[in-house]
Amino acid sequence: MLAAQIVVNALVLGCLYACIAIGFSLVWGVLNVINLMHGSFIVLGAYFAWSLYQGFHIAPWYALAIAAPLFFLFGYVIQRLILNRVITAPVLVTLTLTFGLDLILNNAMIYYFKADYRKLILTPPTGSVSIAGAVVPVDRLIATAAALALTGVLYLILRRLRVGRAIVAVRLDRDAAVLMGVDVNSIYAIAFGLGTALAGCAGVLMALIFPISPLTSTAYLGKAFVVCVLGGLGSVSGALAGGILLALIEGVGSAMIGPAHAITLSFMLLIAFLILRPQGLLGRKGFE
Amino acid sequence: MMARFLRSYARLPGLLLVAVGLALSASATSAQEVIKFGAPLPLTGPLAPEAIKQQQGYDLWAEQVNKAGGMSVGGKKYKVEIVYSDYQSNTPRAVQATEQMITQNGVNFMFSPFGSGAAKAASSLSERYKMPTIASTASSSQVYDQGYKYLFGTFTPNDTLTTPLTKIVKAKASNVKKVAILARNDLFPLAIAQEMEKSAKANGFEVVYFEKYAIGTLDHSATLSQIKTLSPQWIFVTGYINDLLLVRKQMTDQQIKADVVSMIAGPAYQEFIDAAGASGENITSAAWWHPAAKYDGKDIFGTTENYVKLFREKFKSDPDYAQASASVSGALFQMAIEKAGTLDKDKVRDALAATDVMTFWGPVKFGSTGQINSLEPPVFQLQGGKAVVLSPDIIKQGEFKLGVN
Repeated sequence: MLAAQIVVNALVLGCLYACIAIGFSLVWGVLNVINLMHGSFIVLGAYFAWSLYQGFHIAPWYALAIAAPLFFLFGYVIQRLILNRVITAPVLVTLTLTFGLDLILNNAMIYYFKADYRKLILTPPTGSVSIAGAVVPVDRLIATAAALALTGVLYLILRRLRVGRAIVAVRLDRDAAVLMGVDVNSIYAIAFGLGTALAGCAGVLMALIFPISPLTSTAYLGKAFVVCVLGGLGSVSGALAGGILLALIEGVGSAMIGPAHAITLSFMLLIAFLILRPQGLLGRKGFE
Repeated sequence: MMARFLRSYARLPGLLLVAVGLALSASATSAQEVIKFGAPLPLTGPLAPEAIKQQQGYDLWAEQVNKAGGMSVGGKKYKVEIVYSDYQSNTPRAVQATEQMITQNGVNFMFSPFGSGAAKAASSLSERYKMPTIASTASSSQVYDQGYKYLFGTFTPNDTLTTPLTKIVKAKASNVKKVAILARNDLFPLAIAQEMEKSAKANGFEVVYFEKYAIGTLDHSATLSQIKTLSPQWIFVTGYINDLLLVRKQMTDQQIKADVVSMIAGPAYQEFIDAAGASGENITSAAWWHPAAKYDGKDIFGTTENYVKLFREKFKSDPDYAQASASVSGALFQMAIEKAGTLDKDKVRDALAATDVMTFWGPVKFGSTGQINSLEPPVFQLQGGKAVVLSPDIIKQGEFKLGVN
């Protein structure tokens, strides 16, 4: 009974972790930029959902449709105007730049929304359902389904659309892609826009579950980082596998050796992966 | 022509000296008319919400003093100025900020940085520089048992929060036998949980679960599933607002019900009550002060009611214990300085140590360690979206209710 509950919890949480990480993974994989703004984008998405629900009673699953294009545009503009200027510089330069931009974005949110914790409370509450003896909250199920759908959409974009194939091409070999006529700057901006849109959508879904405050951004960023390393960089299925593995380790670790050590365990696993399997569980050279 | 020019310029240095002298004496006069209080606070970073509360409490006190014409010290009026410094939620920086305030900013008296950990870290400086210091947010007795003479605190030890709560549950909920305790692995929340464990055992409860969760935990579902299988009638969780909201949400998600659910330290804050909504109903908690208290103080604020009124007028919200503690710290300094009739640090320190006075915060008397020992912290329960005081009897507002769904 307890085992079933822990496994179900981990599967649901794992999909949410994957949703947090997938945009981060895409940007890191394609642009070779470790985007430290990712956590703040997620929090901004959560505030977006909270504001729409408070102001217009628009449920978060509908808010996704509005958040995705807005965040895409936001990311696209940031990349074109700021990041693109240093895109070919060493990774430390872009890391420092996104760190600085994150400070600005995060403090702007603290200034505007205050650091108080908010909670999106759905009325009426969605309640919980029982699956194989395990209780699962419906809002988490909705968020999980949406997270899976988002991952699926990204997978299809990368596999089927011309722009997606161009992203994969740039990821595989930038110079060859240029020779084939791909507008690399445009692809970079689109990839960053997609990453931002995914972060914003993840934030909208997280608003259903977690309290909202600018101070939570580092927790999201940390999870995204671990999931990417565990699952493999720049791969959709890798993010999913990494998310579920992390959630399972945390859940089982929490039950076996206590919740105080669950995070330690996940970071030990991270170190082990970095040493023994740096490409992650499903990491490959490109998006295939 | 040239000679006259040279003569007039020859007088310039003298004139300049006079001007500088006048400016210096003017600034010296104005410096004497102001008493500076140093307040290092974590104005940015994760503790920023707490710092803002502290700042509100200090500002309200300073504003009231200055509105009344200032403090009377030895027949002279002094204005109050609070010197703030942001230590970015970083304890080593809090220590640096404290030293800088004492040695470079020329503050007359100090308020400690936020929380037990930072207050303890900075307390050695107060002792070294013989600087009277009041800690308005440090409850752990380890802060005060260092044999220091210049540190005072307005929070009673942690066990004074858990013992009255345990007694109420024992008296009113005979069905409650098993307790599960979940604590944030952090100085204050863990200390409270350990006191709770002691208090529960001393009162005959069986502690079936005691675990810590790491700072920054994003998901408690596995822990809560485990607690659910143990069927405790009392679930006691410590942490800060974020943790407690998350735990409460996930308890509802997993349909975990208990006769009693207690949480420290979130429900004392209006933000928690607002964010928890209906899921907050019947959660019990304890804090060092509550706006429903009815004390008739001798301090600048007078009654608790008047303090709440002044706070509402300035900040358009109800004060909680964090803001009130900051304000009373200022008021206690004021009474000690006025009683000493001087800004001499040793004399003010002695006046603080001899404090025995009623304030809007409650009766204030410091024990031999400097920590307050005269206060009986209120226990309260969220009922109908409001905090209702259950004890002490003198400020009781309602009866204890069983059942958290």
